[in-house]
Amino acid sequence: MKGKYKSFLKIGLISLLAAFSLKACLVADIPESNITTEKNNENNSFEIASAKSVRPFKNIEINGVDYIQARGKIGKFGGTLYTSTIGEGPKTFNPWNAKDATSSTMGELMFDGLVATDPYTGEVVPQLAKSIKVLPSNKEYIITLRKGIKWSDGKPITAKDVVFTWNDIIIAGYGNTSMLDSIMVNGKPPKVEFIDDYTVRFITPEPFAPFLRILGQSIAPKHILEPVVKKGKKEFASFWGVSTPPKNFVTSGKFKLKWYIPAQRVEFVKNPDYYVVDKKDQKLPYLDNYIMYIVGDLNNQVLKFEAGDIDILGVRGSNVARFKELEKNSDYKMYNLGPNTGTAFATFNMNRKKDENGKYYVNPVKQKWFNDINFRKAVDYAIDRENMVSNVLHGVGAPLFTAESYSSMYLNHKLKKGHPKNIDKAKELLAKSGFKWNKSGKLLDKDNNKVEFNLYTNAGNTEREAVGVMLKQDLEELGMQVNFKPIEFNVLVGKLNNSLDWDTIIIALTGSSLEPHGGKNVWTSTGALHLFDQRKEKDLKNIADIREWEKELDYLFNLGAKTLDIDKRREIYDRYQEIVYNQAPMVYLYSSLRIFAIRKKFGNINPTKLGGMMHNLEEIYLKE
Amino acid sequence: MSIPVYILKRILQAIPLLIIVSIMSFAIIKLSPVDPLAELKLNPAISPQTLEAEKERLGLNLPVYMQYFKWLTSALQGDLGISTSGEKVITRLMERIPNTLLLTTSSILLTWLIALPIGIFAALRWRSAIDRILTVLSSIGMAIPSFFFALLLLIFAVKSGWFPIGGLTSVNFDKMNIFQKILDVAHHLFLPVLVLSTAGLAGLQRQVRGNLLDVLEADYVKMARAKGLPENKVIYKHAVRNAINPMVTMLGFEFAALLSGAALTEFVFQYPGLGRLILEAVMKLDINLVMASLMIGAIMLILGNLLADILLKLVDPRISLN
Repeated sequence: MKGKYKSFLKIGLISLLAAFSLKACLVADIPESNITTEKNNENNSFEIASAKSVRPFKNIEINGVDYIQARGKIGKFGGTLYTSTIGEGPKTFNPWNAKDATSSTMGELMFDGLVATDPYTGEVVPQLAKSIKVLPSNKEYIITLRKGIKWSDGKPITAKDVVFTWNDIIIAGYGNTSMLDSIMVNGKPPKVEFIDDYTVRFITPEPFAPFLRILGQSIAPKHILEPVVKKGKKEFASFWGVSTPPKNFVTSGKFKLKWYIPAQRVEFVKNPDYYVVDKKDQKLPYLDNYIMYIVGDLNNQVLKFEAGDIDILGVRGSNVARFKELEKNSDYKMYNLGPNTGTAFATFNMNRKKDENGKYYVNPVKQKWFNDINFRKAVDYAIDRENMVSNVLHGVGAPLFTAESYSSMYLNHKLKKGHPKNIDKAKELLAKSGFKWNKSGKLLDKDNNKVEFNLYTNAGNTEREAVGVMLKQDLEELGMQVNFKPIEFNVLVGKLNNSLDWDTIIIALTGSSLEPHGGKNVWTSTGALHLFDQRKEKDLKNIADIREWEKELDYLFNLGAKTLDIDKRREIYDRYQEIVYNQAPMVYLYSSLRIFAIRKKFGNINPTKLGGMMHNLEEIYLKE
Repeated sequence: MSIPVYILKRILQAIPLLIIVSIMSFAIIKLSPVDPLAELKLNPAISPQTLEAEKERLGLNLPVYMQYFKWLTSALQGDLGISTSGEKVITRLMERIPNTLLLTTSSILLTWLIALPIGIFAALRWRSAIDRILTVLSSIGMAIPSFFFALLLLIFAVKSGWFPIGGLTSVNFDKMNIFQKILDVAHHLFLPVLVLSTAGLAGLQRQVRGNLLDVLEADYVKMARAKGLPENKVIYKHAVRNAINPMVTMLGFEFAALLSGAALTEFVFQYPGLGRLILEAVMKLDINLVMASLMIGAIMLILGNLLADILLKLVDPRISLN
């Protein structure tokens, strides 16, 4: 019975996909021309939300309580904001256990951290902390907490909670251990010391630039969680799960769980005792309720927005033009937040090692091509990124040339414009390395091998499949024979990770707009995601085949982590992007734009590139 | 053989069957190329140690046959294990089973309550205008793919605004009185039930009609008429009772489909039922959850067959349980 329905579903999905890809073909059939550029302009006609300069947050003291004063307009109290999340919904409400984005978002809504990111400038600003002092050694951080702020059960939030969260949960390895991974400096965790009820000292073994932002990790109520932690990791992993009655939560954030109905919605109610006030010193948030529907897929989300069930929608692809068209006579306004942190790229397997059986992972003939900088740069110059953006992404994207995404604070501004497609230059580069063309225009290397290789991507992602076809066509202009093969995502990861038997792959990674250090897993020569020359554990003992520029990347990432001065850091990460740009082990293709539609009835909607739509959720209010 | 002995015998027969089903399901799941850790592996923030710990937590570091025995021993003790999200499988299933039962029982009830009278009605007015209209309607009902019909209704709901888009309850549900609550749920159920009933209704109506037409030709009906019984008695006492026998077997199958039959409709309507949960579990290779749902499916099918056999015996004394 089930099998039958599954196959029905498959047929349904396939026919939908077919419909979509047909549409893509139709668009692609239009010759690359003015039409596409026009389309591009039309979609970009609304400007990217620009970060207006806003005064910094102000601490103010009322009746012995240290509040933050918000920066927006004075609004009205009451009302509900409806939003949605795609997928299964939260798996836990315990932010220290959360392993997926939805669960983390909900956890972070309920539990604040010591610091947060200023959505306008990207600076680290105090949240539960009142002030942060970094001592000149760049290893010690003195955090002063706000006085008088409380957990939702009325107990004060003190340094004991902070020390407990860090020492007994994170450093002790409870919950999601990737938190612990991110704070390890040379394999050692930071020291966290209690000084008095409102002061904590953090000491990192070495200067570690990403650390300050990591302090944004949610703080836990010690009086509730200490008994749980004592019972062990298993008990902690199931604590504050999705079947916990909402009244059992003791929280510190803007909103608190009111009701969770599996596969339907999560309802949050405002925290009446939150420590942010508006300019009239009235306690925020303005909204009474914040409700998140759990929807199964993108189409359903769009339907729900059109039916008025939800107030905000991330608009994608071909929907953008339609929504923009309807915007004039509608009750919503659209915002363009610029490119997202996703970076799609094509990469070459530059691996020169042999597997356990003494066989090369990559055919030695192909190894020579992929390790030839002129070959890689020729591919880079042959790609028409503009065409990909206008035809595959429907103009809702931007060509990408750097390893850091456009939204990154550390984007190399000299490189971001990149270069246009230049077939002549590509051919010149190939000729420099002894490549030649036969009578039928096919490319041969200097040993007369025909240049032919496989290009993989994950099947089912229509966007990436279309990009693969375009890349294949672009490279055929150089006489390369590209066999484009979309394969299952799992199989693809297996190839990247384990069997290493691939030539070229198109895939995307998500970066961070605030902290480039996360890229170390990709760019350092021993990284677990060093895709273009993956070194397995056995290879790590004796790294003989490391390239000069890989060494420099190792050095830069190491240095970048230790440098706290933002201008010096910028130089370091500019240099890393320059190396990647020049060496082109990964050829970056595009990023998608983040476009949102939100109903006009809400006030204080001040989207920023770094903070997104809802960074000031406590200030958003219902106009009438 | 008395009925209780027969039931016992069938249950004993079911045990090896269920074990074979479980071995086959487990093997097929394990043969699928899905790697539950694929996404973690491609996440720059995840360290190899975390990956290793996750492997151990999910029991993926053991050989496949050991994984199976581990699952089997705990399942025999009534423990269905934990799902990949860390919750007990049984809690996750229990969250959804009542919703799915609500949807399927209401659509089955609706289907049978409408299909039986219409089928009888059509058979009695064979080849009349109304029979032909019903034939056309039921052909359409059978021909329209349920997911497509569901999509059409969904678009209708968006455009008209008369029906909610998915879900089972409204936002202010907790503030309603019991009467409003029933209305609210019915409002949400209307479209999915309509989709599920349409296909079933059309098929069942045709079957009732066909069976009754066959029976009306039988000798004992002619005999009953010849001996001068009133037409009412001929039809409802003799013909319909005989025509309904094959339907009882169908009821058994309907029972089997109670939990698994609505998956597709649930998915389109974003209904918080079992089907959506299991589809997501299959995609993520949440093995304990998938196994539990497959076993439930098998058990329901066996129970449904048993139920049909016993009902048949009760309805038709000629049938022997041997």
